[in-house]
Amino acid sequence: MPDFNVRSDSVNVEQIMEQIRARIREKRGVDYTEQQIRDLAAVKLEKFLDPKGVRSDLLERYRRLQPAYEPPELPNYEFEDSTLYETHRGPLRFIRKLLNPLLKLFFNPNKLIQALHIQSKLNAMYAEREARREAARRATDQLTYELIHNLVVETTRLGIEVKNLKMRVESVGSRLEFNERRARALESVVAYKPGEGDVVAPPPPRAPAPSAPRPQQPQSAPMPQPLQAAQPPAPMLPGAPSPEGPGQRSRRRRRRRGRRGGGSAAGIMGGQGAPQPGAPEASGPAGQEGADEGSDIETMDEGTDMSAVPTDDLQQFSGASAHPSEPLTRPQPSGSAAVEPADAGPTDAGPRPVKTEPDPQ
Amino acid sequence: MKLAVVVQRYGQTINGGAELHARYIAEHLAKHAEVEVLTTCATDYVTWRNELQPGVETVNGVAVRRFRVKRERDPRVFGRRSDRVFAHRHSLGDELDWLDAEGPTSPALVDYIGKHADEFDFCLFFSYRYYHAYYGARAAASRAILVPTAERDEAIGLSIFPPLFRAVRALMYNSPEERAMIHAVASNQAIPGVVVGVGSEVPGNPQPGRFRQKYNIRGPFAVYVGRIDQNKGCKELFEFFQGYLRDPSGRLTLVLIGKELLPIPSHQRIRHLGFVDDTDKFDAMAAADLLIMPSYFESLSMVALEAWALGKPVLANGKCDVLKGQCIRSNAGLYYENYAEFEETLAAIEQNRWLSGTLGRNGRQFFREHYDWPVIERKYLEMFDRLKKETPAKALDPLPGWFDRRRQDLPAAEEVLAKLPTEPATPRFAPRAEPGAPSTSPGQARSTGSGQGRRQA
Repeated sequence: MPDFNVRSDSVNVEQIMEQIRARIREKRGVDYTEQQIRDLAAVKLEKFLDPKGVRSDLLERYRRLQPAYEPPELPNYEFEDSTLYETHRGPLRFIRKLLNPLLKLFFNPNKLIQALHIQSKLNAMYAEREARREAARRATDQLTYELIHNLVVETTRLGIEVKNLKMRVESVGSRLEFNERRARALESVVAYKPGEGDVVAPPPPRAPAPSAPRPQQPQSAPMPQPLQAAQPPAPMLPGAPSPEGPGQRSRRRRRRRGRRGGGSAAGIMGGQGAPQPGAPEASGPAGQEGADEGSDIETMDEGTDMSAVPTDDLQQFSGASAHPSEPLTRPQPSGSAAVEPADAGPTDAGPRPVKTEPDPQ
Repeated sequence: MKLAVVVQRYGQTINGGAELHARYIAEHLAKHAEVEVLTTCATDYVTWRNELQPGVETVNGVAVRRFRVKRERDPRVFGRRSDRVFAHRHSLGDELDWLDAEGPTSPALVDYIGKHADEFDFCLFFSYRYYHAYYGARAAASRAILVPTAERDEAIGLSIFPPLFRAVRALMYNSPEERAMIHAVASNQAIPGVVVGVGSEVPGNPQPGRFRQKYNIRGPFAVYVGRIDQNKGCKELFEFFQGYLRDPSGRLTLVLIGKELLPIPSHQRIRHLGFVDDTDKFDAMAAADLLIMPSYFESLSMVALEAWALGKPVLANGKCDVLKGQCIRSNAGLYYENYAEFEETLAAIEQNRWLSGTLGRNGRQFFREHYDWPVIERKYLEMFDRLKKETPAKALDPLPGWFDRRRQDLPAAEEVLAKLPTEPATPRFAPRAEPGAPSTSPGQARSTGSGQGRRQA
């Protein structure tokens, strides 16, 4: 049990069992016993199932409606050759027997007796067959209702499981959201501080928007050109393939996330991202991004990255960008390298995170 | 000192729990006293058929005197009477009839005890629920020491037994749970009693490799030793283990040792070896990763103690309070009450070598401290010394008369059993009677022989 956690040299079985039960609860949610599930099926069924469709006391009602089976009391169909002359009076029976030959002079009672005898046998046979069929039908009915009852119990169990799974999904979702927020907060408190021997690069360029066309933003609003945009981009240090430092990269990511946050981005950016009163409103998300970029002078160099937002999302989600040194592998449009800031970050010494004020977001 | 050991069956080939217990005790006490075993000629506990010759013989240096059983057990009659007293309101006469039907009915044995009890310092009666213990202890009450070997079954709820538990000189319990149960049912706290249990003849040098080679068993395995019977929880064990087999991370094989009374699932990782001798049994336990004890009812699991003596962890059925209590007290075994717990506990022992080893070491220590033979012998000898200094209580009163025996006022044994405490007797679960449990036994007000309140017919 890899995640089994006993920290002392001696074991305490009760403590271990508590941990095991906690794990079971964690893995399987609330652990219902068979009796609890039956109780739930019998009492709280309407909470999980359509009450119009099934009855919680199905089996009991059926049993009440169906009295215990008793084989029917069949009438006496017997008809023998002496039945015609039977009587409980002895003398009368004797007289009938005495006069029987006389009776046979008028008609043949044997045929009548034979026919009635066959009929009585048929009656008994059919009655028995019907009784057997009735018994079999009742047994089948019983099985059917048992089956339905079991289905109800199982459906209840499934309902409970679905409910548990929904709760787990919600829990996982909230944890994911919390982790995202936490990651943002952590990134916000990490800032790059160059070492003493490092070459201090000029401040990050407030690069103007590239002259290259931006097909990703066909309806981008006209952006006000800030003064810093007129400054030339800082030259890249030779041999520095990725001149930007992790601090800048994380700030960029944060800004991108802030933009994805929709309306709250304005608050995140200190109001700079809010549409200017005179500026035309963007018609969609792309337009919104364009407006943001237009107002955010630091993100002008990222204009070409906007198309990679979904990829970035995926990377964020899967944790691919969890580490600051993780290279971003999203596709870059041609000419994007030219607009990368010539941030002369240290290449020999790793970035040293220093704690600053927490990010207000 | 002269001791009598009275038990329903006795012999070197008889491996029933109480019988083996009696033999071990007799043989070990023979080092300190003159011991004579009084038993029947039966070897089969179902029929009590007379299969051995009556008279005296010597078994492992102990004199054994056998008496004939008057009549064999009729399973149909016994079943009918069991149903009567366990599930329905009944009379004292019904319970005595049940005892007669259960057997082994040997009036000759009881007569001998009555006539020769004075020749012994003490008479040790094993298994409270049988004829010989009930009538034998009545015949020699002033010298009777009862080893009840009581389990949590319906028999403990019968009203004929609480007076017996209150009338003997002392009781040697197998476990604290058994003591708590008998205290609850009989209110016999005043009777001297000690939890002793029994040791085991565990070989010092078992050979795991020999077992693996002989039975061609490779890889890790869990072992079950005992009768493969539904009453022993084997059906549930098979269901649970088949569920475990569906887990691809599990590698354990289940090895079953014992007589098969239940269909065993066919699977390449479930091996049944049948009945094996003690050498193979101990080799198997030494080779196993753990012992599984799925039984619901145990007064003392000797197999679990043997596993602990060999330094192996035990996975027990938590529904059996005795096994659960043993696991908790020893810190040498885990327990399960449902499949999820079975799976997790089995995986814990299988995958966590440190845990498995620590449990095994604890088990070995627990066995040495509580169930090693010198400890057992000392407890018995101390009890004898104590009883010698005390004045014996008065003898049991005779059984109630004809009318009292036929009064249908005794509750079903199941109802009495349901009110008894069920938790293990550990500090966390301090033994206490349930609110509805009888502070005095149902038969106490109208005693069946112990004295107070009895109306003579």
